[in-house]
Amino acid sequence: MNALATVWLIAEREVRQRLRSKLFVGTTVVLAVVLTVLASLPAFLGAFAPSDGRDVPSDDDERSALRVGVLGTLTDDEVASLEAAFGPIEQVPVADAVAAEEVLQDGQEGLAFVVEPGERVLVAPGGNLLQVGSAAAARAAEALALERVFPGEAERIGEVLARPSLPVVQIGDTDPAEAAARLVVANVGVVFLFAVLIMYASMIINGVIEEKGSRVVELLVEAVPVRRLMTGKLLGLGLVGLAQTLVLFGPPLAVLVLTAGELIPSAVGGLALAITGWFIVGYALYAVIAAGLGSLVSRPEEAQAVLTPANVLMVAGYLVGFAAINAPTSRLAVIASFVPFSAPYAMLARQALASPAWWEVALAAGSTLATAAVLTVVAARIYEGGILRVGARVKLREAWSRR
Amino acid sequence: MLHLDGLERRFGSVIALAGLDLTIEPGELCGFVGPNGAGKTTAMRCAVGISEPDAGQVRWRGGPIDLDVRRRIGYMPEERGLYPKMRVHEQLVYLARLHGLARRAAEDGARRWIDRLGLAERRDSAVEELSLGNQQRVQLAAALVHDPELLVLDEPFSGLDPLAVDVMSDVLRERADAGVAVVFSSHQLDLVEDLCRTVAVVSSGRVVLRGPVRELKRAGERRLRLETTGGVRWTERLPAGVTIRGRRGNEVTVSLAPGVEPGSVLDLVRGDGSLVGVRLEEPRLSELFRDALEAGVEA
Repeated sequence: MNALATVWLIAEREVRQRLRSKLFVGTTVVLAVVLTVLASLPAFLGAFAPSDGRDVPSDDDERSALRVGVLGTLTDDEVASLEAAFGPIEQVPVADAVAAEEVLQDGQEGLAFVVEPGERVLVAPGGNLLQVGSAAAARAAEALALERVFPGEAERIGEVLARPSLPVVQIGDTDPAEAAARLVVANVGVVFLFAVLIMYASMIINGVIEEKGSRVVELLVEAVPVRRLMTGKLLGLGLVGLAQTLVLFGPPLAVLVLTAGELIPSAVGGLALAITGWFIVGYALYAVIAAGLGSLVSRPEEAQAVLTPANVLMVAGYLVGFAAINAPTSRLAVIASFVPFSAPYAMLARQALASPAWWEVALAAGSTLATAAVLTVVAARIYEGGILRVGARVKLREAWSRR
Repeated sequence: MLHLDGLERRFGSVIALAGLDLTIEPGELCGFVGPNGAGKTTAMRCAVGISEPDAGQVRWRGGPIDLDVRRRIGYMPEERGLYPKMRVHEQLVYLARLHGLARRAAEDGARRWIDRLGLAERRDSAVEELSLGNQQRVQLAAALVHDPELLVLDEPFSGLDPLAVDVMSDVLRERADAGVAVVFSSHQLDLVEDLCRTVAVVSSGRVVLRGPVRELKRAGERRLRLETTGGVRWTERLPAGVTIRGRRGNEVTVSLAPGVEPGSVLDLVRGDGSLVGVRLEEPRLSELFRDALEAGVEA
């Protein structure tokens, strides 16, 4: 039997055993159902249907007036039509288009949008207020358009609120809905990566300890070189991880696409692929560390203690990933996206929020995979030295010396 | 032929093997006995290639123990090793395939040994659901499923009930008859004596007694058990080469060095009274074992 066939045989066993575990399959299915239900809730609750910027403002007279920036002067009819759409508005004069961009971008004036009468409605890019801004802008555009159709008939405008005729022009080059979606994907992606990497590191170490603790490894190494044994185990569990990812996220994404496909920016598809890719790269890196460390101990209760160095690296990468989400163009984010242990998180955040060049992504993935390759050699040697030593925890130096 | 040649192995300050030599021929069924800590397990692990000696070499049919050779060895580790949650049949097929068998041959081997060892009703049970005795049978099947040329079994009889001992003995005898070289360690010396054609006694990392059981017994000190009615004063006048091994009332057991005629002792006894009973015995393996260890310590 050649090396490839042996590795595949071992990987196959790992896959079969995990899929036979009722706990593993049950937990995965329940989680997938929960995520799918959550993904379908907005459709059931009708949240997507009227949300193209027409959410009716509250009739509560006590609420504060909507602050609207104005370039030039609004006619009384235009004010009336806007108030028909939003209730009372507070006009904030803005000097020119440049000033309008600035005031919208820094957000300090608290303007929902800026109206340039007869021309455009301007909104701010990026950030959590975008959805509100774009919805309000769309509504304002509608109201002003109606004002031309029904001049002086503010009540009728308020009743009808027909199609918008003025274009909604955003400031900057990011579509507000897409920016919001990217932010969500970045957050979900980093949390997901952390969760699955830490879960699979734990699964690997327990698998190694199972073989070592039950002594079955003595039968295995008699027939299989230790490196093939380790490679097969990592490949098998990696395939299980990929399959689990598909089962967990496939159905909810399908539901979202079916119920609100037109609302999901196209960039989300590419980012989903990026998450999958970074899972594979991150798994290659952390899995070999977990396998090497796992070979040093014989009892499950020692697993977490020996895994601490890998966990520290994963948590550090995770925290850096969130720093990168908050400031995707910062120096920290850029550097972290090329450091192998934080690259899966930080580069994913940058891909979602800062559009790095393709070569930057390739370099980050390449450096992480190269590190994984070096660590594979190191881990395999530790694995060879540690896997047959049952009993007390094996020191790294002893495992390295293989004696 | 398996050759262990001058094996040395040290664990820190503990010397496990101190120049151990041993040869096992195809078709030989060899008992590997020795006190705890004598180096049996270390020697067996070196023999199957999962532990490397500090010095000396292990050879099978004149060549080194490489992967191809290891796949033709059946090994049962001292601490039993199987996947606890894996089913019996599936586990045996998996192990057979890792040893290089094609799927069909692995399936056939697993089925054959499951039937032979009385595990047919438990073929789809997880190993952890089986009794210890049945787990032991699965362990033996795991060592045999790929039809090895060399069987190295570390304490295969420990924990077995008498029926399982019979099954295990039959299987080992049958494999040896089929030309397989079989070596197993055990502390059950009577069982080794009954089952094995050859024996190797190991002490402090060296083989101190080796050979066919029958020849060793024949060459060892014979025992003469005597029962008299006239007291035991004759024991004060024993000739050279005759040593008292036990005494209970008027019954005395003496050992006779090679060359000493039993008649000389009988004449001595008759001089003091009448002889009620007499029996000439070959030494038990356990006695040879103790003698060999004592000689090893003195050396």
